[in-house]
Amino acid sequence: MKNKIKKLATFFRESGKETYASMAFMGVGQILNGQFGKGMLYMLTEIAFMLYFGFTGITDIIGFFTLGTNKADAWAGIVGDNSVIMLLRGIFAWIALAGLIWMYISNIKDAHFYAEEKHNNKMLPSLKNDISSILDKNFYKAALFLPLLGVAVFNILPIIFMILIAFTNYGGKIVPPELVDWTFDSFKKLVVLGELSQSFVKILGWNLLWAFASTLFNYFAGLGLALLYNKKCVKGKAIWRAFPILAYAIPGFITLLAFKYMFSNGGPINNIIVDNGGQIIDFLGINSKWMARGIGFFINAWLSVPSIMLLATGVLSNINNDLYEAADIDGASSFLQFRKITLPFVIFSTTPVLISQFIGNFNNFGVFFFLRSDVLSDGYFLASDTDLLINWLYRMSIDNNYYAIGAAISLVIFAITSIVSLSVYVRSAAYKKEDTFR
Amino acid sequence: MKRIISLVLAIAMLTSIACILSSCNNDKDKEQIVIRVLENDFAKKNGYLQVLLDAFNEKYKDYNVIAVDADMDEYSDLENDGPYGYGPDVLYQANDVLMKYVDGHHIYPIDIEALECYDQIPQNAWDAYKAEADGKTVYCGVPVNVQQPLLYYRKDMLPANWETEWNKNNNDVPDMVEFWNEMYRYSAQIRQNDKSKFGFALQLNNEYFNSGFLFSYGGYVFGKNNTDDTDIGLSNGNAKLGAKVIWDLAGIMDEKCADDSFTNARTTMLANGTIFATICTPDITTNFLKDLALEYQNQGLSEAEANAKAKENLVIASLPMLPAAGDITANVDVTDSSLWTRQKTMGGINGYGISSYSEHKDWALKFVEFATSAEMVQKRAEMLGIVPARGDVIENIDNPATEITYNNLDDGTLVVMPSISAVKQIWIPISSGFKQIATDGCTDRKYTLNDLQAILETIDDNIYKAIHTFSE
Repeated sequence: MKNKIKKLATFFRESGKETYASMAFMGVGQILNGQFGKGMLYMLTEIAFMLYFGFTGITDIIGFFTLGTNKADAWAGIVGDNSVIMLLRGIFAWIALAGLIWMYISNIKDAHFYAEEKHNNKMLPSLKNDISSILDKNFYKAALFLPLLGVAVFNILPIIFMILIAFTNYGGKIVPPELVDWTFDSFKKLVVLGELSQSFVKILGWNLLWAFASTLFNYFAGLGLALLYNKKCVKGKAIWRAFPILAYAIPGFITLLAFKYMFSNGGPINNIIVDNGGQIIDFLGINSKWMARGIGFFINAWLSVPSIMLLATGVLSNINNDLYEAADIDGASSFLQFRKITLPFVIFSTTPVLISQFIGNFNNFGVFFFLRSDVLSDGYFLASDTDLLINWLYRMSIDNNYYAIGAAISLVIFAITSIVSLSVYVRSAAYKKEDTFR
Repeated sequence: MKRIISLVLAIAMLTSIACILSSCNNDKDKEQIVIRVLENDFAKKNGYLQVLLDAFNEKYKDYNVIAVDADMDEYSDLENDGPYGYGPDVLYQANDVLMKYVDGHHIYPIDIEALECYDQIPQNAWDAYKAEADGKTVYCGVPVNVQQPLLYYRKDMLPANWETEWNKNNNDVPDMVEFWNEMYRYSAQIRQNDKSKFGFALQLNNEYFNSGFLFSYGGYVFGKNNTDDTDIGLSNGNAKLGAKVIWDLAGIMDEKCADDSFTNARTTMLANGTIFATICTPDITTNFLKDLALEYQNQGLSEAEANAKAKENLVIASLPMLPAAGDITANVDVTDSSLWTRQKTMGGINGYGISSYSEHKDWALKFVEFATSAEMVQKRAEMLGIVPARGDVIENIDNPATEITYNNLDDGTLVVMPSISAVKQIWIPISSGFKQIATDGCTDRKYTLNDLQAILETIDDNIYKAIHTFSE
């Protein structure tokens, strides 16, 4: 810290008039350096920012804190404040402010750097040179600018918005035109409200079991299928491979609806059972906790195994056959070959996919939403015993309008999935030995 | 030279500005008023919306106004769309959907007494759109049609001897469609003779069709005439007897009553004789008739004969009477009216509302007036088979459901769905509780009245939690 302060002090001591000019107004230092084009761009940028903050930015930042003071009333023709929009605009203003600060610092550094270059009698690049550099040497900056802007607006902004919603009382009866306030109540309720926290623990436990079990099962089932179809003895491989691909190609929600119908009490499976003298089985009924979970597990495998199979098929084709031949000569059994050659290679190549499968399964909304969304189970707070956290979140935020509590649950989901996936990834061979199989 | 150039440039600039301004004004003058109408999919699919829009546009063709389909999802949310200018000007919705917008003032109050239809619509229907706001009573919708579950049965599936064996009160109405106990007895007979068939069949976890059993014995959704969401009363009074009716009805069906199997296949099952009777709303009548006619055609009748026979054999009736003591399995004297009680049902009033965010509320109101005129409501009833809320139109409608529903609305047997925003949170808890009752009713049959009462209390509790846990 001391060093940083010292460095800063030295910077100020050694700065010339160009740097101070740029500190006073962006671009002036560049103009003093003789870089008129760049200087004008910096000046225009500052003017644009000043206009933005003058007209709306400062108000938006104040609105970010107050979330509105004037309630709207469509009957009385009072436009009023919309807390949700104010929050969004406030976040945008903060991002713009961060952008301004970044521009300001870069402007000072630039003025300082080129002032020194000028004092050392070096040729300074013109605007044309700068543009050429951006289109050539620094092309990555030009290429990444728009995507980065897109990520900021369409990804970062909504994520920050969702995170901040968790710290408000938005939801229930507090929806616009009512004014929203900042509060920690959602997290407090998640922990303090007995029934809510019990449900949370139960659902989280099932969610973790589901995510781990289904990820592992789907992964090894897909790998197994790929290995099976790779065997020389299998005839008509293309046809066999087509079946799982067909299952994969059908849109997921159509498959889910079809399965819901098949397992319903009047569906084809029960019809077959009854026609053969059996009794209807309430596969997805209110008391069918583990049966419904099992069916969900099976349907998820139906939807996911083909993609793993395709992936593994591609990965397997890259394994050098010499390794197997050498292992054969050394007398290694098929299982040993699988354990020592195939599995490490496939896991190495597919660890990131495995992680994305885990996150996908952890947040697998569709399966139980389609199968059993009409059930509330005893001992659960407005949830069924097959609901995953994401289904519970949906029930809270969509069915019951509790957006803040929904956002709080999603933050917890985010924390869990990011911790698990990051810790798995940094421990994986794919991360540690990135160059091994290059 | 410079001066001349400057002068020419200045004149050119001023001329351009003047042109732009005048074209803006012209645009403004010519700007057409567009009224966006959100109708339900059924009205769209059957062509009624187009008829309505065409008629309105024809009538007001000289007024620079046009009504168009809002082209939005029928369940799109005015609360989310309206404030940002995306919502429709006029909405056609059930009273519970329309009135949930009142709290946020998203739906605009209407001076109903100034409307031509005011005197033609019963007060019970208007009440579905009544709200208290800022200490005043306001009305935020204009009723168009009344929805109520009714009994649908096949006349040609009645026993041949019904007039002697099933007409104990000699009123020439089959006892099984007049009294739940007789329906239970007849259904049990049918099941006994053929396990693949049912007498009465219904999705018993359907909250809309089955809540009426609870209402008939003292249950209610919200207190103070369905306006107090702190008082949930589905377990109130002897509502457990209503739950027992559901449980007993499950006993004459199978596990299909606990999910949507019967709902999905009800028209086909009634047509092919798998079921004798079911409960449904009048808007599905055309589907019942179509499937039944198709079945008759498959049996060899011509299209005209099949249609006529279907119309003759599909009977729509008021729901049967419930035993006052609450036991539909008991043998109760059907000639003693004191032993019976009318079944209440949950119903809904569909109607038009005006968005508070409409920029042309006067024209939106004109559209609503036009759409609720006798002529258009009659057309709607003819094309969609709905039961109109207008009394003067009822007389011209040849639909058996019409008179029953209208009378039920009038005498309070039809309990209108609550018109407060909390109603959104009642459906899943009720459906889940009913599913639990139906599942035991058609399988183990272990529940006692106390168990049923406990389930109803859990439903109340879940609804209360859904509404209030995070609102306080």
